[in-house]
Amino acid sequence: MNDLLRTLVEPRHFALWERLLFPALAAASIYGFYWRFAPILRNIQRAKKDPGFHLFPIVKRVGDFVWEVALQSKVIRQRPLAGIAHASVFWAFCAFALVTLNHCAAVFGLGFLDPADRVGRYYFYFAAVFALACAVGILGLFVRRFLVQPKWLGELSWGSGVVALLIFALMVTYLAAFFVTGPAAAVHALWWAHTLALLAFLPIIPHTKHLHLVLGPFTVFFSRGSFAQIPPLAGDEDFGMVAGKDLTRIVSLQAYSCVECGRCMEHCPANNTGKELNPKEIVLGLRGYLNEFGPASEEPLLGKYASQQAVFQCTTCGACEFQCPVGIEHVPIMVGLRRGAVNTGAWEDDYGSKLFLALEKGSNALGMSATERDKFIEKNVLPIFDGTQEYCLWLGCMGAYDPQGREIVLAFARVMRYLGITFGVLRKEKCTGDAVRRLGNDLVFQQLAEANLETMAQNKVKKIVSICPHCVRTIQEDWKEYGAPPEVEHHSEFLARFASRLPSVQDRKKIVFHDPCYLGRYRNVYDEPRKAAALAGSLVEAPRSRERSFCCGAGGGLAFLGEEQGERVSHVRTAELTATGASVIAAACPFCNTMFRDALAARDDATPELLDIAQLVAQELPRESAN
Amino acid sequence: MKIVVAIKQVPDRDAPIRIASAGKWIEEADLQWAMNEPDAYALEEALQLKEKHGGEVVVVSAGPERVATTIREALAKGADRAIHIVADDLGSRDALGVARLLAAAIQPENPDLVLTGLQSEDMGLGQTGVILAELLRLPHSTLILHVEKTDAGLRVKRELEEGWFQSIEMPLPAVLTMQSGGNKLRYATLMGIKRAKTKELRAVNAAELGAGPAPVVVLEQITLPKKQKSTQILSGSPKEAATALVEKLKTEARVL
Amino acid sequence: MSSILVVQEARRDGSARIFQETLAAGRKLAALTGLPLEAAAVGDPNANIFREITGAPPSAGHAIRHPLLAAYTADGYVLAFEQLIRQLEPRYVLFPHTYQARDFVPRLAARFGQVLIGDVTAIETGPTFERQLFQGRINAAYRHTSDGPCFVSIQNGAFRADEPSGGTMPISEFLPAIEPAQIRIQPSDPFRESAQTVDLGSAQRIVCVGRGIKTADNMPLVEALAGALDAELAASRPICDNGWLPMERQVGSSGQTVAPKLYLAIGISGAIQHLVGMKGSQCIVAVNKDADAPIFEVANYGIVGDLFEVVPALTEAVKAAK
Repeated sequence: MNDLLRTLVEPRHFALWERLLFPALAAASIYGFYWRFAPILRNIQRAKKDPGFHLFPIVKRVGDFVWEVALQSKVIRQRPLAGIAHASVFWAFCAFALVTLNHCAAVFGLGFLDPADRVGRYYFYFAAVFALACAVGILGLFVRRFLVQPKWLGELSWGSGVVALLIFALMVTYLAAFFVTGPAAAVHALWWAHTLALLAFLPIIPHTKHLHLVLGPFTVFFSRGSFAQIPPLAGDEDFGMVAGKDLTRIVSLQAYSCVECGRCMEHCPANNTGKELNPKEIVLGLRGYLNEFGPASEEPLLGKYASQQAVFQCTTCGACEFQCPVGIEHVPIMVGLRRGAVNTGAWEDDYGSKLFLALEKGSNALGMSATERDKFIEKNVLPIFDGTQEYCLWLGCMGAYDPQGREIVLAFARVMRYLGITFGVLRKEKCTGDAVRRLGNDLVFQQLAEANLETMAQNKVKKIVSICPHCVRTIQEDWKEYGAPPEVEHHSEFLARFASRLPSVQDRKKIVFHDPCYLGRYRNVYDEPRKAAALAGSLVEAPRSRERSFCCGAGGGLAFLGEEQGERVSHVRTAELTATGASVIAAACPFCNTMFRDALAARDDATPELLDIAQLVAQELPRESAN
Repeated sequence: MKIVVAIKQVPDRDAPIRIASAGKWIEEADLQWAMNEPDAYALEEALQLKEKHGGEVVVVSAGPERVATTIREALAKGADRAIHIVADDLGSRDALGVARLLAAAIQPENPDLVLTGLQSEDMGLGQTGVILAELLRLPHSTLILHVEKTDAGLRVKRELEEGWFQSIEMPLPAVLTMQSGGNKLRYATLMGIKRAKTKELRAVNAAELGAGPAPVVVLEQITLPKKQKSTQILSGSPKEAATALVEKLKTEARVL
Repeated sequence: MSSILVVQEARRDGSARIFQETLAAGRKLAALTGLPLEAAAVGDPNANIFREITGAPPSAGHAIRHPLLAAYTADGYVLAFEQLIRQLEPRYVLFPHTYQARDFVPRLAARFGQVLIGDVTAIETGPTFERQLFQGRINAAYRHTSDGPCFVSIQNGAFRADEPSGGTMPISEFLPAIEPAQIRIQPSDPFRESAQTVDLGSAQRIVCVGRGIKTADNMPLVEALAGALDAELAASRPICDNGWLPMERQVGSSGQTVAPKLYLAIGISGAIQHLVGMKGSQCIVAVNKDADAPIFEVANYGIVGDLFEVVPALTEAVKAAK
């Protein structure tokens, strides 16, 4: 009976010295915190405002906050074991808010949770459950950090050890208070032990990655609003992230929030194939820059703290941003740094210049003559869009000029004809500007976006369908900066919608579907292409699939940038897809397709067939529907 | 060093060419315009010389209103100022007539060096720069890939036929016509475009530069070539196909 | 005396072919105008350039001699030809359209208030002179409307040289007055770039090999063809990845961009990465066993067949044609 009534033991009375010492120590601790935190806060506040930032719709922000912060969804989902350990610590801290407040208030006789009354007792029990979970969790994290040492966590730091120890001490001293029965001195000693652990913890926070405790929730709440969103440039002197003066509040906040967990580098295709780029180092570099030069500096960002070469190795696959548990948006940072280099002419790269020059004058990223596109359309009798057809079939550079891309377009056109859905292709089309947008050339991107938007308006295009996720993304999201684009969808979405009207096959060949970054993470489309591919066989999954899919290496304009440093991303991914034992690799992006084709050609083993989902579907159509 | 670069705006290479009803010239309404590529290389060389030795790069271009966009592009890439010779009747002038306009605009500038592309992508005359040298009474050299400043003037690398080159020493001032490919072209930047807005672009009416004599050569008529490019597949045994191919390469394509 | 003056230039390889072609063009013009032909060149009257006459010989030859003309300079040639033309007063002056003619003839013509009609491909009644505009996409007919001499340059290969006649013409020497100070530029001897570095970008002929070659052991096949053609050997990416050729010989989006006069694609299917690197080539020949290979879309000439049979046959045919 007595045991059931056991409750927390707190000191009943505090001596004068205790009542004097505590506020003095607390003040010192708070000052210790503030002394480091104030300049950080200043660096964030003094950074320039984010152009195009809107707090609304606020419901989505609250939703994301609850899901990602309160429920720790990203932390747990991407690394379940460590994630749950972390969540235990986080939830315990939340539960401890009242406990700690009461603990401190008690010294002045202002305690509001009475261990003796029902509410107090139950709350202390409630907190104790979390404390126990937290103690176990932090121990687990400690073991992982100091014994297992995963490489993405980086070099060992004293801070992590001390913080783990303090958290553990906090929990143990709290739990011990349930068991202490001795003299008042022991009770006081325990109270002081807990207090000292707490007061020691506070000033450490802003000195270490544990700053994320304070900033992380704000970072998640004040996100840019959607995945990989590239902000508009503001005014005549904004060329992207050139120097400290170009760092915005969001970027600064994010730089200080990084918890150095290394999820970004764990999933980064560049970092995994021996390239210089490490997204974590980019973010920490910005932090280092802010600490040294501050947010108003003219010192170039690419230099001491970040290398230009690394920044141009990013495929903008977004795996980093997608995984980041504290809401850091890496893609806008990468693109921002590239904008700073390209818009000022600081980036010199033969392949990059060739691409830019091709698009300054010509119509496509491949530098082909537009008459080649005309010939392709003529030879295959593709109807010209005249406003009467339902869909405008957007060819894109790959669909119009790449022999493989053309095959995909023709296969998809066959499917549309089979379904009796009218479509037409534009007489003139310019590159959507995907590659130049991601490489940071705002001048060429603007020219392309405006020219295309004008073509859309002239031709009264209402609905676009495209075989290229890059085109779809760029039309839908990036063109918005210069006008209102028509409705656009990817052919996988179209195919899935009509799946019930399309023939499916009995011969169940094994198909592995590769999620293109710009369809999956960028557009949240995962099931539709699978539904289409499933018409032609049975699906198997690659080890990394859906939102964790591994890039083909082509994104971010890298398809045009010549030879890679280290291993080729496409070779790594192709090996992974081949290892599934599937007889067909199904792609849904002409860039993935061309990267895999190259990589498969370099393999000696019997390689699977490589087909776009449109080709898979078209294969099953009855013969007479050809043309 | 003060360098004047003469540039021309030409129809974009990709632009579909249609013959206007009179058969004297092409339909210009639907065309896209761009900087003549060899002129872009001349501009690049000028900018690199300026970056190395200091000075000023002045761009000169003749043509109607639309030419201003190409001039702006040159300013965006780094030229310091520009002169636009506004002329709507370039088509009715021969190469000498156009060169006279350019020379009249360049003369008062007293440049150390005049650069231009070796030929235009539209007319392909390849004469304007050379005639300009004659009108300005300056020494010239053509098909230049590389320019180096020396104490006495210039050392240039000139392309000859079939993979041969020649180094030439010449005094300044001089006129050079630049071959494509000697340098790497720079891309236009957002910053360059914004900065270009504040640079001087002086428009001079062609009439103010004096009416020259009547043209001595006139373009009478233009037509589309009969032969369109298509793939010829050579059949027969490997030996027959190979022999037929070599014959075609010799007599038809004239590349052997 | 009104005439058609055909100018010859001493070629580095000693060939008289383009002179003979220019003569043929002159004869066409002579037929249209009824004017007599004369020939002129800088150099020794005993030099070959005055001897390898094809067809009916011109009525007179003029050997322009001066020590300051030993090395070509635009300044020297303009002065020399200006004096010759003032003396002969020809109605037409025809040049072969060579780099040398392009360098000085526009200046020479300007001195007479004239404009060169350059790179002429045909001469028709009128006479009108045809040349190409827009990089061969348009043909244009030009007419000379002035009383002064009409300067014309003839495109290499546009006229077929007549058969050798063994005929001779009377040759007189012409000695222009040129002062050393009038030659403002100093040319050096021509040179070729050292063959140390591979520069596919400026190669005139390229034989490019793809996966159709199958194994490294088969590489000598294409090496022999490249040798026979005096061409650079290049490859698509998989070949260089395998180390069968060094990386700097890779043609395509991640390698070199090339634009030779002749490009032979052997066993290359024509993926876009490859096409973007070679599409600017003047004449493209494809050899592939797959008749549907995309490379045939961009090729001027194609042979559908087994490269292991076609390539040796081609090597033999090239050698035989030499």
